[in-house]
Amino acid sequence: MNQTVRDSSPSQPAWFRNKRTARPLIVARWVPVALVGLPVAVLLAIVIYPTIWMFYHSLRDTNIQGLFMGSHEYIGFQNYATVIGSDRFQQSLIHLVQYLTFGACLQVLIGTVLALTLYEFVKSNALRTAILIILVLPMMLPPSIVGVLWRFLLTPSNGAVNQALLNIGLIKNHIEWFNAGVSLWSIIIADIWNWVALPLLIVYSGRVSLPPAVYEAARVDGAGQWKVMRRITLPMLKEVIAIAFILRFTDAFKFVDLVYIMTSGGPAQSSELPTYIAFQRGIREFAIGEAAAYAIVIFAISAVIITLFLKYMKRVMKAQGLA
Amino acid sequence: MSQVSLREVNKIYGEGAGRVHAVQDLNLEIGDGEFVALLGPSGCGKTSTLRMIVGLETITSGDIFFDGRNISRLEPQDRNVAMAFETYALYPNFTVEENLAFPLEVRGVVEATRRSKVREIAEILRISDILGSHPSELSGGQQQRVSLGRALIREPSVFILDEVMSHLDAHLKFRMLFDLKRLHRELKRTMVYVTHDQVEALALADRVAVMSNARMQQVGDRNTLYNRPANVFVADFIGEPPTNFFRARVVADDSRLTLAVEDSDLVLVPDEGTAAALKRSEPKSVIAGIRPQNLNLSDKPVALNARVAINEYLGERSMLTVYNGSIRFRALAPPETRISRGEAVRLGYDPANVMVFDPETELLIS
Repeated sequence: MNQTVRDSSPSQPAWFRNKRTARPLIVARWVPVALVGLPVAVLLAIVIYPTIWMFYHSLRDTNIQGLFMGSHEYIGFQNYATVIGSDRFQQSLIHLVQYLTFGACLQVLIGTVLALTLYEFVKSNALRTAILIILVLPMMLPPSIVGVLWRFLLTPSNGAVNQALLNIGLIKNHIEWFNAGVSLWSIIIADIWNWVALPLLIVYSGRVSLPPAVYEAARVDGAGQWKVMRRITLPMLKEVIAIAFILRFTDAFKFVDLVYIMTSGGPAQSSELPTYIAFQRGIREFAIGEAAAYAIVIFAISAVIITLFLKYMKRVMKAQGLA
Repeated sequence: MSQVSLREVNKIYGEGAGRVHAVQDLNLEIGDGEFVALLGPSGCGKTSTLRMIVGLETITSGDIFFDGRNISRLEPQDRNVAMAFETYALYPNFTVEENLAFPLEVRGVVEATRRSKVREIAEILRISDILGSHPSELSGGQQQRVSLGRALIREPSVFILDEVMSHLDAHLKFRMLFDLKRLHRELKRTMVYVTHDQVEALALADRVAVMSNARMQQVGDRNTLYNRPANVFVADFIGEPPTNFFRARVVADDSRLTLAVEDSDLVLVPDEGTAAALKRSEPKSVIAGIRPQNLNLSDKPVALNARVAINEYLGERSMLTVYNGSIRFRALAPPETRISRGEAVRLGYDPANVMVFDPETELLIS
């Protein structure tokens, strides 16, 4: 049999039949193979192959010259030892935790609060749409623009943020937004502004799709707004919020753009994240082997965190009988 | 327990061109512990009425009283009503036990009391074995029971059921009807049951309120609705198969009054009471109605002569579709009846079963 589809049972839809011959459309065997094979090939080429390539070089003393000349040697886990043992990497891990907690987590938290407030308190549809559009606007800006914009806004001497804070009277002196110890916070602020609408959209759409009858039942049962929020809305939105976390966490591991534009990791590496170091070591300083080791370590950390989230989601869904 | 009264209640949705007058000047008195069904076709305003009683919908004008207290402007949680929803509306993230306990939890009832109450209600509804499950793991009938239980658990003054059986299969529906009736007898609560299914309404309720086109048509018990329908709509809506209606001229001489059906040589004879009423109001023509159940192959003194067009075998009976002139109507016959097309039949009836309506207002003349 060299044809995949031969059955001409009348249950097949009309479009499936060849109009001219009134026979079922015959699909050659290579068609499904090609349809599945092509995407798989692309995936192999742009994801699987580079990952394996990277792992290979993370075990070798590759630099840019060696890469092109083909002269690099196996050095075992020496690159990993360098990465994990370096102060720079350990510092950046602390920065990463700081970014995940106050950047990613806070974004999800603020996004959730905004989404639910918008849903509960703004009843006019036109107003809701207008607010949503305004909140989503920052997300549509390219990161380079966001970075430049916030560098302007946060300029210590005459930036808008300092001026505003001085005028309100919240601060007495200029805040040095780009000094060591503060610069990472500046990046986090810009990132929150940039990305808070993503969890907001996810949670908002989740809330919109919750069944209204359940809320009517809760009203008739006598539950107040706060009780409903705590006992019904938030538990029902668990998976949705978990998805928002996953998206913001995955983004956190490839978060380079704002760091590069706003501080270049400085001053004195005080706002570096692991990915930024990998980028710096590999693309700027041509230490390909070491950068590859960085990438693999980051990959491992992110895989662990995302697996935990997925496990949590599965548990939540299982508890509700959804999976 | 309490008594419910609706006075001149109106509900208008929207404004301007898209304005819908969903409930018009509705009056209804429901006695303490009574089981009333709100019956009507889809879109007649029965669900809007019920949602106004619960407080999920604002009342455009008019008032609703519970035991003489005006509750029209109160929030649902302040009315002490309980409701079972058409879609069950169980809390998907709670177990059955938590679902049942939620109304008590909201009221700050302590854990131990909650537990014993849940056990008790689960016993009544026969759902003790599924207390640990989540709603998504339950069948429609089980979800139904849980939603009833959640409504019953806190002893509301009024208990409202919105089309609760429309998603159940016939067999399950029959059992639930029985259970509901039993529950009502045991708990003696005031219950309002909304449905579009007359079988449910007539089987369950002490009284049935028939609605159509945003208006209350008639409130009454089974016999009243069936034998003395207030108007053509009720006569048509209640009863299966539907009533036969004829346009007829009133023919009165000194001795007796008859109704000559147009476009045929059929003559209907009303009973004395109706005849007297017709003599008083002297209409030229009327709408006459008689139920297929009341037309039989028998040798009663008065009868309609017709020829058989179709003889349908319906299991426990046969339905004859017959004609006379250009008029077609239906009658019921025993299932073993063997009559073929074109055969002449004599369909006897009791004059008391002839219903006569005013052709303009469509109201019953009696």
